[in-house]
Amino acid sequence: MIRRTHPALSAWAWLVYAFLYLPIIVLVVFSFNDSRFGATWAGFTTKWYGVLFARADVREALVHTLEIALISTLVSTVLGTLVGLGLWRYTLRFRTALTGLLVLPIVVPDVVMGVSLLMFYSFVRQGLERAGWSFDNGFWTVLLAHVTFQISYVALTVRSRLAGYGPELEEAARDLGASGWESFRRIILPLAMPGVLAGALLAFTLSLDDFVVTYFTSGSGFSTLPVLIYTNVKRGVTPDINALSALLVLVTVVAIVAANALLRPRRGA
Amino acid sequence: MKRAALLAAAGLLLLTGCYRVQKPPQAQTGAAVPVTRGDGKTLRVFIWSEYIDPELVKAFEKANGVRVVLDTFESNEAMLAKLQGGGAQYDIAVPSNYVVQTMVRAGLLQPLDKSQIPNLKNIAPGFLNADYDPANVYSVPYQYAATGLAYNRERYVPRDTWAEIFGPDDRRSFVLLDDPREVIGAALKFLGFSANTTRVGELRAARDLLRRVVAKKGFQGFDGGPGTRNKLLAKTVDLGQIYVGDLLIATEEDENVQVLLPRQGTTISMDTLVVLKRSPNPELAHRFIDFILDAENGAQLSNYTYYATPNAAARPYLDDFLKDIPALNPPAAWLTDGRLDFIGELPAGRPQRLYDRIWTELKSR
Repeated sequence: MIRRTHPALSAWAWLVYAFLYLPIIVLVVFSFNDSRFGATWAGFTTKWYGVLFARADVREALVHTLEIALISTLVSTVLGTLVGLGLWRYTLRFRTALTGLLVLPIVVPDVVMGVSLLMFYSFVRQGLERAGWSFDNGFWTVLLAHVTFQISYVALTVRSRLAGYGPELEEAARDLGASGWESFRRIILPLAMPGVLAGALLAFTLSLDDFVVTYFTSGSGFSTLPVLIYTNVKRGVTPDINALSALLVLVTVVAIVAANALLRPRRGA
Repeated sequence: MKRAALLAAAGLLLLTGCYRVQKPPQAQTGAAVPVTRGDGKTLRVFIWSEYIDPELVKAFEKANGVRVVLDTFESNEAMLAKLQGGGAQYDIAVPSNYVVQTMVRAGLLQPLDKSQIPNLKNIAPGFLNADYDPANVYSVPYQYAATGLAYNRERYVPRDTWAEIFGPDDRRSFVLLDDPREVIGAALKFLGFSANTTRVGELRAARDLLRRVVAKKGFQGFDGGPGTRNKLLAKTVDLGQIYVGDLLIATEEDENVQVLLPRQGTTISMDTLVVLKRSPNPELAHRFIDFILDAENGAQLSNYTYYATPNAAARPYLDDFLKDIPALNPPAAWLTDGRLDFIGELPAGRPQRLYDRIWTELKSR
């Protein structure tokens, strides 16, 4: 069954991979460059990693990034899974419209999302201020913003995972005496699980990456790594930021390898 | 891409005129509804990255027993968008001169209490009462950047004229700044006009000149400061239009990279300190401004950023290296003889559209 690929085709594939990964390799290499501006090679050094770990703002941003990513992934995975299951299981009157609404956060440009959330928060704040309350944008507003766009991704992956199955599965389970909860826990959820995990992973990486929405919804004194890195471009990204990016690449690779290992179908099951 | 997105966002926010978050609730209800009042212990500053010496911040924190939170932005437009959204409460922002009036009109700034800023006397008179804020009601000068001509003297030493780029000679490779006002401004200065001109004839002349310039073989594209700096360090380009400070910092690595101000004059952009209307700690904000305007602190700032200081009293404390660089210390006469133009705000309408059209044409060539 194994067909040999045409050599030209595999050469092309290698070129594509090189195009995708060379910049990342260059970035990792230059995080060991003894030059502040990284234009020329000035010798090997690990000092930028030292500089990086000494920076309080980086540490703080890292903590914020992880907090937001973990919590928002958890919340959006639960909510998104419920939405996905609901769309799969029930015939709803406005199903198409509902699915459309779900796709909206994915297709809408980040910036529209960011600005509209910013306006929404301002609107809410004005109302609260009249009542004598007040709040600052920060952790909660960013968390909420991330959850809003993550839900769609989770719901859609869950729904498409279940798309091939009909309601008869659940009916069969009920016929065999399973309660509603049992059929959900032992039949539906395991079937949906790959979709749930894929959605959660997607949500997590999206949250780690997000700059635009985070920039607009975070208040003063609360920044995440993408915000910190992006606002550095004006005067040139410093090599310690290269070091940070190299570490992030490492973490991402480890996470992907781990996820693959977890998701691999077990033999003989 | 993201930059474009942010600019779009800024535009969007500016268009939504119904936006009133910056108005304090007192004005609406007449009652003393609490806005988040500062405890006088935390100062929040919205500033460009790498634009203040961390040691200076520490010194201020220690002297006043407070904490300073620095948040960074990457463009004036992005800063404006976030402030207009009202989500973040800052005490101080550091806008460039051409957005000060925009911020005043948007109701974002509060007038400064000059009695709390005695060090204002340190600022060179040429940098006070500028068109962007007559009488300095809302802003004080922080640091400024002249736009110069950068080169690597191991590769090529230019004459001090914009003709090196805008002249007929086509042997030299060069990079222009990725900024409409800077590029069109430099062409206007080369032609002997003001960089803020609204005269159609002068703008047409600049457009015709720039069309020829970007058609030159040596034209290597538009770039921001860091990209141009790296090209000069790597000697892959002869000349680059660049903010003086962005280039000078590279001399730490290679003293052969240099920058000069063309004799026809050039554009300058002043970054300013402003106190936001919603500032929770206006008193602390004023104290910070006065601290920055101190002679020694002003020098320490420039010794760190390599940007030019408008602080006359700070000059003696500058590092010798910085004192010797003419591009960082343009002759005082240049400020008055029309050779240095602050990039100013353009009147909306036809002039604005003309600048936009010239830029679009150059970029899509």
